[in-house]
Amino acid sequence: MLSKKLTLFQAALLAAALAVVLFPVFWILMTAIKPPTDWNASPAIWMPSQPTLVNFKTLFDPDALKEYGVGGVSQSATKAVIGSLLASITATTLSVLIGLFAAIGISRYGAENKSTPLVILSGRMFPPAAIAVPFVIIFSNIGLTDSYVGLIAIYVAATLPFSTWMLKSFVDDLPREIEEAAMIDGKSRIKAHLTVTIPLIRGGLFATTMFIFILNWSEFMFALVLSYSNVSTIPVQLAKYVTATAGTLYGVQAALAVLAMVPLVIVGYLIQGHLARGMTFGAIKQ
Amino acid sequence: MDETKRKIGKACRKFDEGKMTRRSFLTKLAALGVTAAVANAVSLSPFGAATAWASISGPEERAWALAKEAAAKASKKTLTLLIPTGSIGNMTPYVDKWKNELGIQLEFIEEPDEVVHTKGMQEAVAKTGRYDVMMPTAMSYPDWIDSGVIYDLTDWTDKYQPDLFNKQWGVVFPASHHAQLYNGRVAGLLNDGDQITLLCRSDYLQDPEKMKAFEDKYGYKLDVPHTWKEYYNLAQFMHDPAKGFYGSLEYRSPYYVKWMFMQRLVSKGKLYFDADMNPTFNSEEGVAALEDMLAMNAYLHPDAFSFTWSSNYNAFGRGEGFMNIVWPSGFKYSMAPSTGPATTGKIAATVMPADTLKDGTKLYAGLFCWGYGYAVSRYSANPELAYAYSQWMTSPTISADAIPYLGGYSDPYRVNHMLEPTERLVATYTKPYLKTLYDNMVNTVPDFCLPGGFEYQDALDKQVHACMTGEKKPKEALEAAAHSFERITKRIGKDKVRKSWLTLAKNLAEPIKKASGADTWPDA
Repeated sequence: MLSKKLTLFQAALLAAALAVVLFPVFWILMTAIKPPTDWNASPAIWMPSQPTLVNFKTLFDPDALKEYGVGGVSQSATKAVIGSLLASITATTLSVLIGLFAAIGISRYGAENKSTPLVILSGRMFPPAAIAVPFVIIFSNIGLTDSYVGLIAIYVAATLPFSTWMLKSFVDDLPREIEEAAMIDGKSRIKAHLTVTIPLIRGGLFATTMFIFILNWSEFMFALVLSYSNVSTIPVQLAKYVTATAGTLYGVQAALAVLAMVPLVIVGYLIQGHLARGMTFGAIKQ
Repeated sequence: MDETKRKIGKACRKFDEGKMTRRSFLTKLAALGVTAAVANAVSLSPFGAATAWASISGPEERAWALAKEAAAKASKKTLTLLIPTGSIGNMTPYVDKWKNELGIQLEFIEEPDEVVHTKGMQEAVAKTGRYDVMMPTAMSYPDWIDSGVIYDLTDWTDKYQPDLFNKQWGVVFPASHHAQLYNGRVAGLLNDGDQITLLCRSDYLQDPEKMKAFEDKYGYKLDVPHTWKEYYNLAQFMHDPAKGFYGSLEYRSPYYVKWMFMQRLVSKGKLYFDADMNPTFNSEEGVAALEDMLAMNAYLHPDAFSFTWSSNYNAFGRGEGFMNIVWPSGFKYSMAPSTGPATTGKIAATVMPADTLKDGTKLYAGLFCWGYGYAVSRYSANPELAYAYSQWMTSPTISADAIPYLGGYSDPYRVNHMLEPTERLVATYTKPYLKTLYDNMVNTVPDFCLPGGFEYQDALDKQVHACMTGEKKPKEALEAAAHSFERITKRIGKDKVRKSWLTLAKNLAEPIKKASGADTWPDA
């Protein structure tokens, strides 16, 4: 890898870009530890004078804010956190798994019908708002509204075009001669893909998984329209932190947002090596 | 129960005859299980305690009797309510009573307030039966009734008499009509008197130096504004941005800004449509209303373009402005030391300012905007129980008890809330402000409580906001909004919207009907 020292100008530019990108994160972190009196202060309070964890506590104990005179918080975020984890992990796993085999199938065996990938992508051509109501009708007829099975099903359906297309590009870039060599060595087609294709595109697989997980983790509309009381997710719960006595509970919303960042940061950190490779995989076409 | 009723009746008669002090009367009623709010209202009634008790407790008692009957028959022992987030505080105090005395569990499904209408429309197609009672704003009723998702409540209101139109304890006219009826039929029961009133800082009004300087400059005494011109003068006079103190905190933010325009438009004697559904705001009066708003921009809080109701209330409570246009909850905020540290005890409230019409008369008009109510889902397994809950919660007695609870959006809406308030209502709103609410409400014009109401409002909001940001000239913005209105009317069906509009316009205060010409419009 080439190493190069940054000029002062480049370093300043980079610092400015970083400041822009990281400022919202800084603001959310600070708001999450501010007491209610500081949430909406004017002029704005950058760093809380008395940092507190009460916003985080309120997520799991709605009465916690009463010590600051803020009542009327009626919901704990426990169900939303568990719901988001359950729906996102399951839907991501299924989407990537199905997308992976679809990608291998299309890349290696789908030469005759070139329209298949486009048909799969067509599912993403409609804005979610346009298909939300039909989904509500279908799901209510088959008893899937307000259930995690229904939510996971729609998440898989909504993200499958992405996972298929992303993974297809990684498989396309892998010379098929490598798989053929494995088959000459006596491996079946499926075994060749499992032991050769998949390990060789693991960078792309991690990148795709991360991308699909972010899509599912932050999805709002389907979760909102398909949920009543049994199902809850973090993005929907965020919109519910409003009380008549204190208005929008910015601090509690920020605390939940910080909590929502944690899995993404951890997973992103753990697979950062693969991510870098996944992002650049296929950049140079053969 | 009958024995208790007989004892209450006897106590009322003794109190009326002067054989019992008020304190003993209240104690006696409390011992007989009457809530403090009801006992207080009855003891203060000018009609006498016996008459007041028989009448005022009627809607509550009839609703409770129906609830008992319906609860006994109900196979599903849970009553599920779709409510906007933040409104639960007015309902939770009664959960135990419904559980313990009726065996009915109240379940609340909270949704962000801006999606409650959508959730209702969604239920119209999904028909899940998940909700029994739904709590939309008055603007949802036309679309919800037309889509079949909620019941027309008229047969029930005829039978169980919630006293919606009673002169002493009914819902204040014209909100009784425009916030509950659709095409003359009862679509929902109002539980929230959302109207906007004007708040001023009384400490500034009473400052001798300011009084003198104001009179010297404008030639009349410093007071709360009675006209829009006076409102402008006051904002100009009090505006002191160097000290972080601004003339007014009225909204210029998307979603809220249309109400500031609608309020000024109705003050000028214009309604939103004529009798034939042609938009009327793309007129001299509409342009003048927008120009007034543009002129006011110089004296507004710098956050006016991004205010939500809570950030607006908080800024006013911190003492960052002289005037504010608020819902009644804004007054509560300004009164409470926690949310109004700079305004507690320093508020002078008044009805919305008048405008001077072409004939020289002054027209006082208010705006009834938002206003939640209970509706009964067509797909409820226990619709009678759902109706009973709605009538019980909005009865003159229970509602007077429910409104002062913190953590809910309910504000006064019945005559008795404002003119014969309970001690708790007075403690929450103060007697002068309750009177202001009444005086303002009798002149209110509603939101677009018509089929497609949300579409009309959004179209108007978009254009008014474009004008406020300088993107469009007033006339251009209003013409664009009028064009959108015509398209919406055409798509929904002119006859359908016209029928609803004429019915709505028929039930407004006489001065507003006269000024707008609605008094000469044909019946629907």
